[in-house]
Amino acid sequence: MSEVISASALRELMRDWLRQGKQVFGPRQVKPGLVLYTRLTDPEQLLVSGFIHPSNSPKEFVFPRHEVIYSYRFEGKDLQLLDAPDSFPEQIVLAVRPCDAAALPILDKLFNWDFQDEFYNRRRQATTVVTLACLSHDDSCFCTSVGLGPADPRGSDAMLLPAQDDEFEVRPFTEKGEASFSGVTRTSSKQAGTPSGPAKKFDAGQVRTYLSENFEGPIWHDETLHCLGCGACAYTCPTCHCFDIVDEGNAAGGIRAKNWDSCQFPIFSLHASGHNPRSTQPQRQRQRLTHKFQIYPEKFGDILCTGCGNCTRNCPVNLGVLNVLEAMKNGQPL
Amino acid sequence: MKNIYKPDPMEVLEVRRQTPDVKSVKIRFREKEKNQNFSFRVGQFGCFSAFGYGESTFNICSSSNWKDHLEFCFRKTGKVTEALWRIEEGDTVGFRGPYGNSYPVEQWEGRNLIFVGGGIAMPPIRCAIWYVLENRARYGDISVVYGARTVADLAFADELEQWARYDRVRVVRCVDPGGETSDWKGEVGFVPAVLERSQISAGNSIALVIGPPIMIKYTLPVLDKMGLAPNDIYTSLENRMKCGLGKCGRCNVGPAYVCKEGPVFTMEQIRHLPADF
Repeated sequence: MSEVISASALRELMRDWLRQGKQVFGPRQVKPGLVLYTRLTDPEQLLVSGFIHPSNSPKEFVFPRHEVIYSYRFEGKDLQLLDAPDSFPEQIVLAVRPCDAAALPILDKLFNWDFQDEFYNRRRQATTVVTLACLSHDDSCFCTSVGLGPADPRGSDAMLLPAQDDEFEVRPFTEKGEASFSGVTRTSSKQAGTPSGPAKKFDAGQVRTYLSENFEGPIWHDETLHCLGCGACAYTCPTCHCFDIVDEGNAAGGIRAKNWDSCQFPIFSLHASGHNPRSTQPQRQRQRLTHKFQIYPEKFGDILCTGCGNCTRNCPVNLGVLNVLEAMKNGQPL
Repeated sequence: MKNIYKPDPMEVLEVRRQTPDVKSVKIRFREKEKNQNFSFRVGQFGCFSAFGYGESTFNICSSSNWKDHLEFCFRKTGKVTEALWRIEEGDTVGFRGPYGNSYPVEQWEGRNLIFVGGGIAMPPIRCAIWYVLENRARYGDISVVYGARTVADLAFADELEQWARYDRVRVVRCVDPGGETSDWKGEVGFVPAVLERSQISAGNSIALVIGPPIMIKYTLPVLDKMGLAPNDIYTSLENRMKCGLGKCGRCNVGPAYVCKEGPVFTMEQIRHLPADF
């Protein structure tokens, strides 16, 4: 037995949410060949099939790429600091891939150890995550190599599993998820199958060992040398969270903002003296891989990667986590 | 809502030009009660704002015993420090902190202290020196070896002379060859060499070494020869930071976040970190 919802009932439900003033986000075909998670204003915009993974990640709905943290105003020498908006509308992110949803509990740890980032927390509290299990995958997918899978419930408030006859099985995991679908599903005798996901491509534990033992090695000189440092991997990654803090304005007034940043940029770690601890592109690749597979697991107990494959799909020179790990494997058995 | 990124407005009480491109600034909270409630430990740092230009990370270079104000010191080198260079008494800057760990000054009690610094590294040493001088009885002999490129580049030069007048304090000042003036009475040479020929007795000693990586690199073998164990040699790492809160992701040396586990490390700890700095 299972609870199911038809595709048309799902769109009707979404229409209700929009009418109630909730913000809805989900995958949308923005132009031929490009699917992105975006704000949706019409249920017809929602994509629930025919794509593997959007080219971005839904992290931006809880951790915006540009966020005002306060504004300032000078009247002569008198300074006024004005709080940025700190209440956020209820939002539902729909048809999220399980790998993207799994990134959120991982990020919760970073934004809450010791110091709490309430901008992040409040957006997170206002968000309901409805995942869409994956029936298919491509060569870049590797969720099963980082302990996840095509129907993993981590980070989901509810999950939609594609079933027969244009229906979805609905599996709520939290109160938010229950509330979102209460009264709109019907009981069915059928159950959606369990999707299998991509074959396991590497052992994350071995990667961690390799990274901790090979701070120097040919891979950090040769294989990663062709990285362009564009940052596409980080910007489209559901778990990359590094940010910059900058002022935008002038001596009379303006804002201070938290903007996405990337460890792939040379200025990221540049000292005032001109010295740069990570002055070459391979060193910056090493930082990205080490942060994901060694540092974050040591600090927070989670791999900072959910195997979505976006870093490989979006890399203009065919790198990304998967190909760097592949190079690692060739250089030394993994 | 508690906003961890929002600084406190600080009144600028005094600006002192230390060298042609270094200034120190004395500030206090605009919100009066905060001046009484604020406390920190020497060695901690803060994020200092020039509104409209941004935020930079500096050590709090005043002693934690001074309750009515705090000080920071910077070299004019980028967008934020160019803006800070223009501030005057009565202006407002931003401060958030204190962040990071600190010098274990309690553990240092009963030990002789050797402070070794180069150039703009004086501020994070200065706070520790004032702290131990204000608690003079708890510490043994104090030696300060401080060098800069030229005589004009010595920060807190007047305080170096004040310290030298304290009981059981020896101050060795040096400038790089060619940086001396005709009336220069200090040493001429690089810090590691000057430290070696100063023949400081190193028994029961703790060293705090802060300076450019090249100075640290050549100072460590000297300290080793003097007999100091890596556990007794401290430094303060100064990686680029934005948040100071363990989130923005750039200041790590391998697995160690300088803003959280640091900035103060022993050489023993650094020996176990990858060469990521």
